Order: sequence, then structure tokens, then C-alpha cells
Amino acid sequence: MIPAFRAATTSTGRALEIVRMVLVFLVFGGLLGYALELYVIGHWLPNFQAQIPFLVSIPGAIFTAWLFFDRKTPWVRVAFIVTMWLMIVTGVLGAYYHWVYNMEDARGIQWNFTYSMAQFHGFRPVLAAMAYTNMGVTGLACIYRAR
Amino acid sequence: MIERWMSAETYEQRTLAFLQNFFVLIAAFGFVFYGIEHWVIDHQTLSHWSALIPLYVSLVGAPVAVAMLFTTRKAVAYPFIAVMAISVLTGMLGALLHLVWNANDLGVSLFTISGFIDSMQVPYRPVLAGLAHTHVGAVGLVVGLTAWVKD
Repeated sequence: MIPAFRAATTSTGRALEIVRMVLVFLVFGGLLGYALELYVIGHWLPNFQAQIPFLVSIPGAIFTAWLFFDRKTPWVRVAFIVTMWLMIVTGVLGAYYHWVYNMEDARGIQWNFTYSMAQFHGFRPVLAAMAYTNMGVTGLACIYRAR
Repeated sequence: MIERWMSAETYEQRTLAFLQNFFVLIAAFGFVFYGIEHWVIDHQTLSHWSALIPLYVSLVGAPVAVAMLFTTRKAVAYPFIAVMAISVLTGMLGALLHLVWNANDLGVSLFTISGFIDSMQVPYRPVLAGLAHTHVGAVGLVVGLTAWVKD
């Protein structure tokens, strides 16, 4: 991102790289923030999937930071894109499991509107998990058409 | 924004316009989404008047963001930039207030590590969730501030 910004010769090119840098920086900050939050709230339940968001945050933060300085190396681009897709899937699965586990803690899994919406804002925040999906989509958009 | 995309001539112009359209959509979606979320979790029925701020910001932010898709005239773009800046501040203030009130409820000091961590862990008033408005605002702001860029 930074080399591309410095090499940009037009106003559009510079604006494009500024937009990318700001948004990738938001993703980077988000990954650090969510990793800290997961650590602070003790998201270390005795099942493997509870650790997935933290584990995904590690390559996410590394490759996002790397992208600022180098987006030409093919394997870095591939690793970044794969990590972003992993984050998208992590967010969607996390939201689903938070919702289902909220239901299981109540009266079991039922998808009628009143009950499911009541469990939607249960103990586990459903939409919070989708922050990972948001960051993944943002990262993918930022590398789209980046030469 | 849509018009900028349609009239883009170079590779860079098309890419910039694509990103601008995409992120205005994300901002608009975020405001609708968080507006509904505030309503679902009854954020507006909380006792303190400041609990209404994020809902108001969402109610204003969503239509202005949608309007930006169709025109980047200053009459729309200036209010858009202002609302996005307000959204950034709303998120920061929200996170801070959540943290302070959590500490008050627990009776701990935020200037100790254990007090800070305990205040971050209160599940019914999530601290970082407030920053969602900062995120949506920052995404919109970067689009708003580059809305008129021309070669």
C-alpha cells in the first residue's frame, strides 16, 4: 500500500491508495482490538471452535500489516486473501453458533420468530461475531484490482 | 457515487469508484443494521439520555449514506461528512461511557489493571461494541473526503 501510494502519479491513484490504507488500517486495528477483547473476556471455552477467532486473528494481523509494505509477492497476496475468506466464514459460523447456543441454554433450538429473536439478544452476542465477516470483506475489497 | 463509477475512464478511476460505492453501501448497511440492533436490544429505553444518540445517528446516517450513492453534490456530501465524523465520535464516546459505567456498577477503579479488565468483561454493556459506530463513520468519512477527487 505504501509503495503504491508513493508511486502513484495521479490524484485518483493517490486517493485510491489512501482509501485502501485507511481501510486496511481499520482492519488491522480491529484485529488487534478483537484479539485483545477475546483474551480479556476469556473466549477460551473447552471446545476448539471457541479459539478459532483468536487463532484467525494472528495471521490476519500479520498479513494485514505486511500488506502495507508489500503486496507484490504472490504468496503474501494469496495468504492475505485466504485469511480474509477465513475471517468471513469465521464470522458467519460464529454468529450461527452464538445464536444456536443461546437457544440451547433456553428451551432448545426453535426457529419461530418470537423465540429466536429473544435468543438473538441472549447472553452470547450474535452480531458481534460478524465483526470478523466485516473485516474479511473489507480486506478483500481493499486488495481487489490492486496491481 | 454510482455516476462516478459509470463515467470512470481509467483503471484507477474505476477501482476508486468501485471502492467508494462499496464502502458507502457498507456504511449505509451498517447504519440500518445498528439502528435495528439498537431497537432489538432496547437501547433507547435505557435511563440515560445519551443512550439515544447512536439511534439518532443511525437514523440520520442511513438516508444520507444512501443519498451519497446517487449524488456527490455538496448539499449531500457535506452533511454526509459531518454525520460520519459525528458517528466516529459517537462510537468513541459510547465505548468510554460503557467502560466508565461498567466500572461504576462494579465499584472498581479504571486506573488499575484488574479494574480495567473487570470493566471490559461486563457482558450486558460491551465496551468495544460502541466502536462499531466509529468503524462505520470512518469508512464513510474516507469515502466522503475523496468524493470529489479528479485527475
